[in-house]
Amino acid sequence: MAVRAVLEWLNSCSGCEIAILNIGEALIPLVSEHLDIVHAPILMDHKCLGQCGEGSEIEIPEADIGIVSGGVANTEHLEVLLAMREKCRLLIALGTCATHGGIPALMNGQGLGEGIKGVFATSGTDPCSVPDVGVPAALDRVYACDEKVRIDLFLPGCPPNPALIAEVLTAVAQGRDPVQPGKSVCDTCQVLREGKGAVSKVRRFLVNADYNAEEPVQRMRCLLEQGFMCMGPVTAAGCAAAGLPPSCIRVGVPCRGCFGPVRRDGNQMLDMMNALASNGIDFKSVVDRRSLLRFSGAHGLLRQIRTRPVRERG
Amino acid sequence: MGFEPKIIAFCCNWCSYAAADLAGTSRIQYPHNVRIIRVMCSGMVHPELVLDALSHGADGVMVIGCHLGECHYQDGNHKALARSDMITELLDDMGYENERYSISWVSSSEPDRLARAFTNMTERIRKMGPVDLQNPAGQ
Repeated sequence: MAVRAVLEWLNSCSGCEIAILNIGEALIPLVSEHLDIVHAPILMDHKCLGQCGEGSEIEIPEADIGIVSGGVANTEHLEVLLAMREKCRLLIALGTCATHGGIPALMNGQGLGEGIKGVFATSGTDPCSVPDVGVPAALDRVYACDEKVRIDLFLPGCPPNPALIAEVLTAVAQGRDPVQPGKSVCDTCQVLREGKGAVSKVRRFLVNADYNAEEPVQRMRCLLEQGFMCMGPVTAAGCAAAGLPPSCIRVGVPCRGCFGPVRRDGNQMLDMMNALASNGIDFKSVVDRRSLLRFSGAHGLLRQIRTRPVRERG
Repeated sequence: MGFEPKIIAFCCNWCSYAAADLAGTSRIQYPHNVRIIRVMCSGMVHPELVLDALSHGADGVMVIGCHLGECHYQDGNHKALARSDMITELLDDMGYENERYSISWVSSSEPDRLARAFTNMTERIRKMGPVDLQNPAGQ
C-alpha cells in the first residue's frame, strides 16, 4: 500500500524540490508504487490556503510522511511548519536550510535590521525598514526546522543528493531504516594526499587549482595541501554518488561546506579553525572566517559580533 | 550575596593536575570557584569543550598544561597554545568576552603558581560578572 506524503516549502529557493525531480526515472516507480503525494505546493497545484489564497486557515492533509524544505524566518513559515508537524507521522527536513539554516541564516551574523538595511536600503533604493504590513512578520533570526519542532529525519545538502532522497523515501515506504552517509567529505575524497606540513597559510579560491583536466581527479593533489580553503574535513559527505569523488572537488573546486557539519550538532567554523590551528596553519590567513558558517548559521552558531561595552578603568 | 563565578579548569594529567594534588596535600588555599577537570594533555582540549562550558553556565574557562618544551607528549602544549590564540579570537565571534578564557603553564612542583593562577582568574571573572550574551543560543 502506498504511503501518503505531503511536501511544504518554507524559507526556501525550490532547489530541494528540483532535487526531488532530479531523482529522474527512478521517481516514476517511486510515486506510482510507494508514494502517494497528496500535497506539494511547488510541484503540484494544491495550496495550503485555498487555490487562490482565499482561505484563512492553513489546510494540510494528514499524511504518513511530511517533507519540509527551507528554514524558518517568519511567522508564516512557523505556522506551516507547526501544521506539518501536527499532520505528519514522520517529518523529514530536506536540504541544508531546513537542517542547519542554510544560506538565509547568514542574516543571523548581522541581525535582521542590519540585514534589511544592507540588502534593500542601499544607495540605489528607496529608504525602507523591516516590512510589517501585508507580509508575515519576520522572526528575530533564521531558525533551522529542528529548533522549532521535532524532526525525525535529516537530509542535508544544497541541493540534497537525489540518490539519497530516493533512498530515504524508498526506505520509509518499505518500513526500514534509511542508509545515510555518516562520514566527512575528506573520507570519501580520492585525491592525492602527500602529507601536510608544507602549508602555513590558506588562500581563497581566486586562482585555479593545480591539476590537469585531462587526467582523473585521483591524480590531483589535495586542495587543502595546495593551500586552498577546502571545507572537506568538517563537512558531511553525501554530495556525490557512492564511490565517486565529492562533486565540487571532482571539478577542481574546493568544498564549500554545503552539507553542513559532520556531526549534526557540530560547528563548521570552530572545527575548521581548530583543524588549521592544530596543524600549524596560520588561522588568521582565513579571510572572513564567519563565512565558514555560510551553510550552518542557525542553532545560534552565527551571532552578531559583540559590541564591547566600554569599561571604566580603575 | 555577591557574584560567585564558576570556573572550569582543564588540567593536564602530568603537570597541572599533579600540582593541584600537591596543593591539596600541602594545604595551599585557592578559591573554591574553580572546578578542575582532568584531561590527559592540554593539547586534547578541543575549542568546542571551551565553548560548551561557557554555554552551559561556566563564567570562565582555564586550560593549564606543562611548561612549553616539557609536554609528556612532546608537543601537546604547543598545539594547545596555537589553538588558544584562535579561541581567544573566536570567543568574540561567538558573543563572549575573550578574557573569559585563559591558558597557563604549571609544572607538577609548582602548587603556588597554580593557586596564583586560580586566584587571578577568579578575581578577573568576579570583576567581569556573569556571562551576558547579547544574542544567546537557543532563545
